[in-house]
Amino acid sequence: MKAISAVALGVLTAIGGFVDIGDLVTSAVVGSRFGLTLVWVLVIGTIGICLFAQMSGRVAAVSGRATFEIIRERLGARLALANLSASFLINLLTLTAEVGGIALSLQLATSISPVLWMPVAAFAVWLVVWRVKFSILENVTGLLGLALVVFAVAIFLLHPDWLQLGSQLLLQPPAQTSESPTTYWYFAIALFGAAMTPYEVFFFSSGAIEEHWKPKDLTQSRVNVFVGFPIGGLLSISIVVCAAIVLLPKGIAVTSLYQTALPVAQAAGTIGLIIAILGFVAATFGAALEVTLSSGYTLAQFFGWSWGKYRAPSQAARFHVVMILSLVAALGVLLTGVDPVQVTEFSVVFSAVALPLTYLPILIVANDPRYMGKRVNGRATNFVGLIFLALIVVASIAAIPLMIVTGAGS
Amino acid sequence: MSRRPRIRRPDELAAPPRFAGRIVDAELELLDRQVFDPDSVQVTTVDDLELTDVDAAHPDPDAPPEILCLLSGPVFGTRVFGGRPPESRFERVDWAHVARLTTAVALDVTAEVLDISWLERWFRDRVIARIPGGRHDPE
Amino acid sequence: MILSDLLGLRAYAADGEELGRVVDARFAIAGPEDHPLRTARMLGIIVSPRSHTSFMGYERTDVNSPALLARWFEHRGRGSFLVLWKDIASFGGGRMLLRPGAVLYSPKLEPQDG
Repeated sequence: MKAISAVALGVLTAIGGFVDIGDLVTSAVVGSRFGLTLVWVLVIGTIGICLFAQMSGRVAAVSGRATFEIIRERLGARLALANLSASFLINLLTLTAEVGGIALSLQLATSISPVLWMPVAAFAVWLVVWRVKFSILENVTGLLGLALVVFAVAIFLLHPDWLQLGSQLLLQPPAQTSESPTTYWYFAIALFGAAMTPYEVFFFSSGAIEEHWKPKDLTQSRVNVFVGFPIGGLLSISIVVCAAIVLLPKGIAVTSLYQTALPVAQAAGTIGLIIAILGFVAATFGAALEVTLSSGYTLAQFFGWSWGKYRAPSQAARFHVVMILSLVAALGVLLTGVDPVQVTEFSVVFSAVALPLTYLPILIVANDPRYMGKRVNGRATNFVGLIFLALIVVASIAAIPLMIVTGAGS
Repeated sequence: MSRRPRIRRPDELAAPPRFAGRIVDAELELLDRQVFDPDSVQVTTVDDLELTDVDAAHPDPDAPPEILCLLSGPVFGTRVFGGRPPESRFERVDWAHVARLTTAVALDVTAEVLDISWLERWFRDRVIARIPGGRHDPE
Repeated sequence: MILSDLLGLRAYAADGEELGRVVDARFAIAGPEDHPLRTARMLGIIVSPRSHTSFMGYERTDVNSPALLARWFEHRGRGSFLVLWKDIASFGGGRMLLRPGAVLYSPKLEPQDG
């Protein structure tokens, strides 16, 4: 139990990054349309987020500076403001989707209309952000979110054609599909952007400061990253594989969480379905917490307001006001009837565009001895970091054109 | 006429004279930095600096300007978009309160006593304190 | 006066040559032992012929990694120089004029212990 709470921050961050409502549906979509031929993107995305979360966590532990403070300091007022506007808007879109996702998960569990769950979900998220201690928040949602491991178990229970899966993994497109290359690359970029969404590093580095990590906790930071994010990546990959095994051969289109859960229901019956739904609720709730807190963190760190769940709300008034307003806005948008899943597709593409402005300052500060003392990046880290920076820039440039050309992957 | 300024090679530039004291480049090391009080509570970010007044048309070569205050608030908007707010709208932290400069600016007075924290106090008293549990300390 | 009054001004030599834009202002901070940061006096301004803003200051400090980025930013900031306060003739209206005989110094910062 102690071991799990030690990596809870990493696991929770990863849950918000890899199995939030957008990923829960998109992973199933990808599996049902492309088989395993896009899994390599998830692997690369996992490596990328590990690298940058590790850097931002290290910077936070050694210098005490959270990521958005660094973005403001290094990019200067204009560029940082552009980043803030983009990040905040994306956060708001994502928050709308996550609260909607909680409602959709609860609908699966209870058959009660999601519209009735939405205000309940928004209020519950606020209550936890307002009152629940950070360590409890991360331990509980992290642990419950791991229920999604039922998807990994389901893979084996389904007795798949391993050779077929293996060939798809090696980029042999499955026989039943006929997707165009542009659609393939659109989904590749969407998956990459979803794996490396900036709010993951905002949350992780701010969480590092919430946990009062100091240089002596660097090992713990490393373990959090290298245990938490790969687990998140594996959960996401499991959903893809399940969809490839069950949905792809039958040509079942994924339009909701119901199809995402279908393979588990087939493999493990009602029990499996219950566990999967529990995982959905926990994962979307955890993601909603992460995105709500990120909204507060980014704005407060940019303007220099006091922030943090380790403070009483009265000591971080504007921080909490921002989060309350964000939840109200998200609820308002949801009640107009938008489909939370469609909202996610937009927010993922836009966050792919905003990636470079977030990751460049992190890479630079991680090398600056005035912040890091002796703990600057090594050569290997810089080498891989620069490669990923190049990938991020390419994804950022290609994201919107591909979205337009493919009609958002339809 | 739009010929771009010439780029001078390093050998064309003179070696700078030695200066006494700690050398700080404002845009590089002061602007956009976080400002903290002794309890590690964030106060604001440095959006601009107020300097002693100087006659712009005939500056005195022996009287360079000094930093009077850190500025926040409306100056941020004008720094990004141009223009200049009237001095009555400056939100100031006296330079005399700056105790230490590292990767952030450390003050020697608490946020409570500073004028600049009025907005935070306003939200605390008018909004947060009205919600049950607002004063509950989580640790 | 505020710092933004100086940043972004186009700098001209006394003979009319356009030198670049003011991207930063350099201060010397000193004080007695109980208040070492008491006085921050402006030494001069940093002018850059290429960039409108300094962007991370690689060209002035010792930080040189990651190597590729450092080289790119140094390249972007190349040719920038320091002008002492006493060599400034006037400023305003988007422009700064230097005195005749103004010396252009290297902007390199000595590594600080502070």
